[in-house]
Amino acid sequence: MFGRPQLVFLLLLLVAGLAWLRLPGDEQRVRTALIMGTLVEIRLAGDPQQFNPAIDAAFAEMSRVEKLFSSQLAESDVSQLSFSTEPFQVTEESAALLQRGRQIARQSDGAFDMSLGALKQLWGVETENPQVPSAEQLQQALAGVGPEALQIEGRTVSKSNPHLQIDLGGIAKGYAVDRALEILRRAGVTSAAVNAGGDIGLLGSREDGKPWRIGIQHPRKQDELLTTLILTDRAVVTSGDYERFFEKDGVRYHHIFDPRSGYPARDCQSVTVVAADVASADALATAAFVLGPQQGLQLLEQLPQVEGLLVAADGTLHRTSGLAALEP
Amino acid sequence: MIFSIWRQRLTRFDRKLVAALALLVLSSFLLPLQQAAGSRLVVSSGDNILFVAPLNQDQQFELSGPLGSTKLQISNGAVRVLSSPCPQKICIGMGKVSRNGELLACVPNRLVIRIEGKSTDRESGYDLLSR
Repeated sequence: MFGRPQLVFLLLLLVAGLAWLRLPGDEQRVRTALIMGTLVEIRLAGDPQQFNPAIDAAFAEMSRVEKLFSSQLAESDVSQLSFSTEPFQVTEESAALLQRGRQIARQSDGAFDMSLGALKQLWGVETENPQVPSAEQLQQALAGVGPEALQIEGRTVSKSNPHLQIDLGGIAKGYAVDRALEILRRAGVTSAAVNAGGDIGLLGSREDGKPWRIGIQHPRKQDELLTTLILTDRAVVTSGDYERFFEKDGVRYHHIFDPRSGYPARDCQSVTVVAADVASADALATAAFVLGPQQGLQLLEQLPQVEGLLVAADGTLHRTSGLAALEP
Repeated sequence: MIFSIWRQRLTRFDRKLVAALALLVLSSFLLPLQQAAGSRLVVSSGDNILFVAPLNQDQQFELSGPLGSTKLQISNGAVRVLSSPCPQKICIGMGKVSRNGELLACVPNRLVIRIEGKSTDRESGYDLLSR
């Protein structure tokens, strides 16, 4: 049936075929960019030529969101709202995000707060010259803050105190990840992960069809994980006291503030939240961190499609009732 | 049928050739496992990869960014930033990284340091780290 040359040729074809199969077909493309003052990583499987434009578009979308919500850029919607002493018209997109933020602020009894811009500037944790403010300074910075600090009517936003400074640090990064995922989804990507400095959004499952495995950092032991979560199409955000902080007189001051005291919240070491979207997970992680392990757990338990893992200040772990189903 | 072709049509040389090719294919499956045993460090700035190094060789090196030179150290399979020209030194404060997928970044100096490991890590470990 076959002569020798054909057989040898067939064999060589077989070798080539097997060698091709052996090539790392499940290898993912990972691209990084520095956006919103943090490292953003997008990983997905597939043909680079096909998906590179989608990744470019996703990064561009995150930069656009940054320009809209950054309190560092004078022309952003958020900065203009902060400077405005009168009711101010924001974009529809900003109004929608402010509405979502206010909803979580109300649900968390004010633990999540978008009006802490002045307080954050006062502490300057993320600047070159952080300081511990005086009681008087704190009182001034907290004047008028709270879940009802912003009135939103359509696109018009009014502040209860004209000097309130808006800061969307606890929700904008998550929202940017959600937008990036939406851009990838529209481009036909079915498996991707977007990670913006620990704010993780997952599109579908891994390229091999298995769920993503997300390691959760131990807040005190750098080389250890608290657990691994097995997730598909979900968002995971961890807020911890160990990432951005400064020390003065032997005391560590971190960047997650309790709006009731004006000081960094002290009842948790870290909080991890799993939710349907990254913006909500982002805001809820901050809220639960501020509320502390008991009240924080209560907040997360009452919300549908939300799970959480809270590490109390004494290191004890508190899990929502549905978290175990996500662990291996 | 294949067995009869094997017996009737192939010379001794052909059989040796087939055996050699089969061995080649088999060994090519084993080879990547050995290569994967060593994780590596990849430093990039934007979309450009600046530097790649194996994690199993202790060394120090300096990388240039817009602010100046950032010094990295590989020691005992882990990487850390020794010195950096950035104002807040957050990259130094991030400590050492050694696990697959872990990242260090110096945002002001626009350097991203990533650990890339063996793909088998994904079965027993994790794909992404939430921190």
